[in-house]
Amino acid sequence: MESTLSILFIQAIHGLVYGMLLFLVASGLTLVFGMMDVLNIAHAGFYMLGAYVGAAMLLSTGNFLLSLIVAPISMALVGAVVERYFLRRVHIHGHAFELLITFGVFYIIGETVKWIWGNFPRPVDVPGILSGAIPMFGTAYPVYRLFILFISFLVLVLMLYVFMKTRIGINIRAAVSDPYMVNALGINVPRLFLGVFSGGAALAGLAGVVASPVLSTYPGMGLDMMVDTFVVIVIGGFGSLFGAFVASLMIGELQCFGVHFIPRLALVFQFLLMAAVLIIMPTGLFGEKE
Amino acid sequence: MRHPATRSIVAISIAIILLFLAPFFLNILQTRMLIEIAYFSLFAVSYNFLFGYAGLLSFGHAAFFGLGAYTTAILMKTIGGMPLLLAMASGGIVAALGGVIIGFFCVRRKGAYFALLTLAFNQFLWAMAWKWRALTGGDDGIGDIVPDQPIHLGIVKLDLYELEPMYYLVMVIVLVFLGAGWYLTKSPFGNSVMAIKGNDERAAFLGYNVTRSKLFMFTFSSFYAGIAGSLFALFQDFVATSSIDLSMSTQVIFMAFLGGTGSYLGPILGSAIFVYFTDWISGLTDRWEFILGVLFIILVLFFREGFIGLIPAKLRSIFATGEAT
Repeated sequence: MESTLSILFIQAIHGLVYGMLLFLVASGLTLVFGMMDVLNIAHAGFYMLGAYVGAAMLLSTGNFLLSLIVAPISMALVGAVVERYFLRRVHIHGHAFELLITFGVFYIIGETVKWIWGNFPRPVDVPGILSGAIPMFGTAYPVYRLFILFISFLVLVLMLYVFMKTRIGINIRAAVSDPYMVNALGINVPRLFLGVFSGGAALAGLAGVVASPVLSTYPGMGLDMMVDTFVVIVIGGFGSLFGAFVASLMIGELQCFGVHFIPRLALVFQFLLMAAVLIIMPTGLFGEKE
Repeated sequence: MRHPATRSIVAISIAIILLFLAPFFLNILQTRMLIEIAYFSLFAVSYNFLFGYAGLLSFGHAAFFGLGAYTTAILMKTIGGMPLLLAMASGGIVAALGGVIIGFFCVRRKGAYFALLTLAFNQFLWAMAWKWRALTGGDDGIGDIVPDQPIHLGIVKLDLYELEPMYYLVMVIVLVFLGAGWYLTKSPFGNSVMAIKGNDERAAFLGYNVTRSKLFMFTFSSFYAGIAGSLFALFQDFVATSSIDLSMSTQVIFMAFLGGTGSYLGPILGSAIFVYFTDWISGLTDRWEFILGVLFIILVLFFREGFIGLIPAKLRSIFATGEAT
């Protein structure tokens, strides 16, 4: 017998799971923006491509761990190529063309996915060991979603460690606040940026792999994720990692409770929240950058 | 004939005369293609009011195209005896209203932030069109928009189930709006918007109200997109979420940049190339959208002026006295 309270708890955890997935994608996006003022539209494309590559690995080898490793690495490579050979080439021509090139890459990733895997949803099976459910709040909760939470918190802890305790992390934080000064101090900012760009792509790819058994893979998944992460960045504030974290959880919870209580309006809530934040705090909850 | 303005007037007059004679020597398919090029030209030019003139890169311009298309379709469908031209004007006005509201949020922002917000608001309207089935028909869309009875416009009577009356109606509307738009870009207001694009701080110091000018340009551009959308609804006789989704926004970006955003005529050339190219290449391969994307990347990497940049400057100047940038 499921009580109202247990349903609320389950929804809250669902929201947390989606919020953490959002954060995995949004973190790379917001760092890239903070460092180079580039809105990487292709970022959600890396999420989608990662999901498809992971699903293809899983299907051919049956080894989930392998796809968990291969997909992020391949996305890091794709990201590095996009940054080095496309984005950097148009950098001197201004922001508009940087945006357009990432937009073009997003479009091509979308068409590639449709070309190889078809223009229809492809569900991904939950890997064997992680299927099943455990009792929680008087009901059964799927293990796999808890696994997503575990992975994403692991990544969060790793990220915190890198940003707070390592030289690279300090350089990245400094570059987000003032890339020109950091460059002048003798740190190779373009190389650092390449690293952040491809690292962000890897995180997006990882999010894609872990999300695919729950959200399935479909050609529109990149766009869905893109819109959600954009809303997250507006709410959290441009370039703010902490803001992205808080806003991701907010949007995750909002969507899960929205779908549960008012399904007809669920798609609309996040935009209303975004508009409200824009009116009240135009730079977002934790943003300093214009 | 030596004065550049005279040459332009002659060249444009010849072009207009050719357009009006076109249905007599084109077959049905070619005429239909020309109609498509006409309303997409209007759409692409409206996009270029934002990017080419005000320097605002929008990824959500389909929002206004869709607002115009849906408004026209819904009015024609729900109100019996609705005058067609009024329904189409309403399409433009509703799009302009949407432009004021969305523009209010967006134009204070520059660059990436502006791009992101326009895309988000586009998705918001798309979600509305998708979910609000009672009004929009959801993914089934709205069909049967063309009025059953011939419409009377002063002395002429147009039966829009015939291709030629449709051609002339669309063409006249498009040409009138293109002319008015050209006039606007040459006006003091148009110049002030370009000054803002060049350097908005300097423009503000010179006493221009930067935000208000941008908002006006955004609204004006939305109005044009709405008119283009209502023409689309009329010609297709059908409106669905495809008129307001991201691929429509993508399409207008492709059209504008294909032709070139540096001049008034660029996007018109771009929509002509786009319509012909997609028609040709979709007959050759199923993967034409992929090829389109590759073409776009090549364009952004190497030919940022668009196709109009490949035309010799002398030839270009015959059609356009004074370029946008």
